[in-house]
Parts: sequence; C-alpha cells; structure tokens
Amino acid sequence: MEQPAGRTAADAARDRLKLAMERLANGDRSALETIYRATSAKLFGICYRILGDRAEAEDALQDVYVSLWKRADRFDADRASPISWLSTFARNRAIDRLRTGKVRQGSVPVDEAMDLTDAAPLADDLLQSAQQNAQIHLCIKTLDENQQDAIRTAFLEGKTYVQIAEMRDVPLGTMKSWVRRGLAKLKRCLEG
Amino acid sequence: MTQQDILAAEYALGLLDSAEALRARGLMATDPGFAAAVAAWEDRLAPILDTIPAITPADDIWPRIMAALDEAQPVVEVLALRRTLRRWQMATGISAAAAVTLALLALPLMQPPAPAPVPAPQSATLAAAAPLVASIPIADTPLRIGLTYLPDREEMLVSASGITADGVHDHELWLVTPDEGAKSLGVVEAGAERRMTLDHAVAMQIHEGAKLLLTREPLGGAKPGSDAGPVVANGIFQAT
Repeated sequence: MEQPAGRTAADAARDRLKLAMERLANGDRSALETIYRATSAKLFGICYRILGDRAEAEDALQDVYVSLWKRADRFDADRASPISWLSTFARNRAIDRLRTGKVRQGSVPVDEAMDLTDAAPLADDLLQSAQQNAQIHLCIKTLDENQQDAIRTAFLEGKTYVQIAEMRDVPLGTMKSWVRRGLAKLKRCLEG
Repeated sequence: MTQQDILAAEYALGLLDSAEALRARGLMATDPGFAAAVAAWEDRLAPILDTIPAITPADDIWPRIMAALDEAQPVVEVLALRRTLRRWQMATGISAAAAVTLALLALPLMQPPAPAPVPAPQSATLAAAAPLVASIPIADTPLRIGLTYLPDREEMLVSASGITADGVHDHELWLVTPDEGAKSLGVVEAGAERRMTLDHAVAMQIHEGAKLLLTREPLGGAKPGSDAGPVVANGIFQAT
C-alpha cells in the first residue's frame, strides 16, 4: 500500500514541476514562471550558500533561470527528478560564477552554514531530491572526517583539489588519495 | 571504481583545475559513457543540496529575469530552430517508413514564419529539405565545431560552445566551391551557438559532400583582398 497524504502531496508537486519542465523544453515560456514559483526559494538558498553574498546570489539566480530557459531541452525526465536536476544546475552555475572571479567574497563560513554531516534534509520541503535521500546522508557519515570535509568543501564551496590541499595544508597527492578513496567508499555504500 | 568513474566524480564535484576540467568537458561532449557517469555522480550528490535552507528571493528578481529573457531573443530563436531540428531528427530516427510520414508532419515547422500554405511536398523535395550536418574537429583536442544547415531556410546553426577564444585570433569558416574557390561563411564565435542566414548564391552551393575549411585569422577575420590564414581544420557536410 502507498503511504498516505505526505507522499501524495510531494508526488503531486514533483509531477507539476516535471510537466512544467517539459512545457519549457517545448518552448513554452509561461512554464518558466511556474517553475520559478515552485523552486526559486530552494535555488536561491543554494546560490547564497555557495556565493555567500545576497547581491551575488541574486545575480546567480537570475542567471540560473535565464540559462534554464535556453537549455531546458537538456533535462531528461526519464533520468532525473526535476528538483534534483535543477538544484545541481543552480549549484553548477553558482560555482561557475565563483570560478570566473566575479565574486568578491567566498562562500558562507562553515560555522555559519549548516553542518552537512549533521544536517537532516529539511522535512517540510515537498520537493526533495530523490528517494535515496536518506541513504546518501548515512553514507557520507561512514567516511573519514578528512574525506567528508574535502568532498563537502568541493561540492558546496567550489574549491579544487589544489585549493583544498592548500587550505588544509596537506600535499596535493595526499588530498587526491583521500578524496578518491572517499568517493569509492561512497559509491559502494550507495549501491550496497 | 574505474579511472573514468573517478574522473567523472572529480568533475562533478568541481575538484579539477581548469586544464583538467576542460579535458573532462571535451570528454563529456564526445563520450556518452563519460557524460552518463558524470550525470550519475550529479544525481548521487544532489541530495546534499537538500540540506541547504531555502531562502525566498526578493520580489524584483522575477521581473529582472523576464527583462533578461526579452533581451535574449536571438538566442531563443536559435533554440527554437534547434528544437525543430531535433523533432525532425527524432522523426527520421524512428524508421525509414515512419520518417516519411513524420517528416511530412514536421516540415511545416521548418518553414519560415508566414509562408503561403504549401502543397504536400513530394518525397524528392523532402530529401532536398533534409538538414545537412558537419562536424569540424579542432586539432589535438576533443572539441569540435558543429554545423547544421537547414536548406529550407538557407540558414545555418554554428555551434562552438566548447571553444574558448584566445583573444588574439578568430577562426573563419569557408565553403569550398568547385568554381570560385573558398567562400567565406564568416567568423566563428567561440563559446557560442549562432544562427546565420546565408546568401542564396552561397546556399545553392551547399550539398551533401560539400567541403568546409576552418582557418586561423587575425581578430575580425581575413581582410578582403588578402590571403586567408592557415587552415587548421576541415569537415564535410553530411546528410543526417
């Protein structure tokens, strides 16, 4: 038997978003507003977390939706959940901005931001990414602290191997082997 | 994990330096297996983004987006063309028999905006109207310039999305014609996808098997009256 109301509401929200993404891919510009209403708070949160500056995050958010309009046909509804794809899209655009050097400040200091390893997914959010949500949070916790830190720093702060190795004062080769072992373990855990 | 899967994860996380990332982007464009591995890692990592608190953006962001979209119209036009083309390709990809039927349905979409209604074309007309494509590889890199020519509209899409300008040179595209030598199709804009309308005289010379050259030129392209720069790549128009 299916779960009651909560799951149904989340499914409906996901279906509405998926439909709007399909309309957008077919060139229906009005679908963008539907998508914006449903996702802008989530995507703005992501941009702000990565860029650490409200004005920068606003520019990034604008860039995300304009780019989305141009590239909606790349979304593959069979493969990814729309919110998961959009979150990744926003994250990648924000990190591109960080890399091009337009941004004055870096990301939000870790102390101020939520600690990834301890944070549970936000329960009141209807548009959660994937069913395996809980699993990746559990799997990340199985990694060594160094591995968790490096993966989190890369993913949420847009730092490269070279930058993370410098920040943590570790030889580049050591950092790479930490991360690679961590990724292999993460994958085994997710598939296991 | 395989080397390729490790590279895919590192690319998805953003760990690579700019040269390595460029190489990975090239692989993404040319190796569907690698692109799928990157996408799989993006899916695995995406739930981490769910831990970030949502923040409602200011009310003026949506109007800003709408204004930016209005400015972006030319790109949108490219997009509409690309979507039309994709529909056509999907139609033709299904089966030869279905392709004829579906191409007949798709054809009106490929006409300019407001032509008089045309009678159902014969199959020969259909064949003539099929898009031609060319892929011009850039030496020593996995990157390519993609061309799609739409005979119905005498228009061409030039995709140089993965290419970065060096700030010193431009690259110019040439159509090789049997009688008049190489005819310029214009400068390729690095990192962009552009639609260009071709002169009818040039368009008439584009056919399956027509050869293309890419030359390196000073910024702005070859000067009229002077020789073109060195040929750095070439390609051939092919039926889709």
